[in-house]
Amino acid sequence: MNLRLETGKMIIKIPSDIRRMREVSLKILGSLKSYDLDNDRMFDIRLAVEEAVRNAIIHGNESDKAKSVTITYWIEDDKINVVVEDEGKGFDPLGLPDPTANDNIMKNSGRGVYLVKKLMDEVEFNAIGNKLKMTKKLK
Amino acid sequence: MPVRTETKSGVTVCRMDGEIDINSSPDIKKVFDKLITQKTPKIVIILSNVTYVDSSGLATLVEVLKNMRSYGGRLRLVNPSSKIRSLFEITKLEKLFDIMSNEEEAVSTFS
Repeated sequence: MNLRLETGKMIIKIPSDIRRMREVSLKILGSLKSYDLDNDRMFDIRLAVEEAVRNAIIHGNESDKAKSVTITYWIEDDKINVVVEDEGKGFDPLGLPDPTANDNIMKNSGRGVYLVKKLMDEVEFNAIGNKLKMTKKLK
Repeated sequence: MPVRTETKSGVTVCRMDGEIDINSSPDIKKVFDKLITQKTPKIVIILSNVTYVDSSGLATLVEVLKNMRSYGGRLRLVNPSSKIRSLFEITKLEKLFDIMSNEEEAVSTFS
């Protein structure tokens, strides 16, 4: 589902299906065409969006296809803002282990949120941890 | 994401194209699981034509490295794009992986 709000914000709602993830990043990147961003910045935004949506699907909604992930995005003051919200019970983002620590570096998971934080300019979670807002400057 | 393999001077060279992500990782893993089951001693993965890697892709490469180390195998990565290399730097995985820029050198110096 796609919806444009009067505020100019766009909303995409997808079921908890990993195969739907790419359409989200394509739509968001498509909205940035007029900014003529370099490939590295497009890469960062794509990766951050897909990691956030994937976490929402797998960890937030536990891949329950009856649950949705809602992605809201808008451009304001030459920044792209993306909010990803799932229907899960949330988590404590401060409790995530550091994936670069020696004890964790060989682990097969745990790099998603870390990458989002590194690639975007601002990242914040709501109090229960089922809603992430991330922002990146476009200029 | 096809993985094409060939043997050069006793080294198994794997060429990957496109994207190493959550969608392609299961197929990639199958190729490397087979090489690991055979205890392939030396693998060089050519990343020149890889355009995108996500955390699942990084995890797949970490798993290949970990499994190879379990039997004393050795792995080299060759010529990732500057953007993909930066992911290895950000995640500190560059400390674990032997990343080289030249395929011929990676193969010929794999003693």
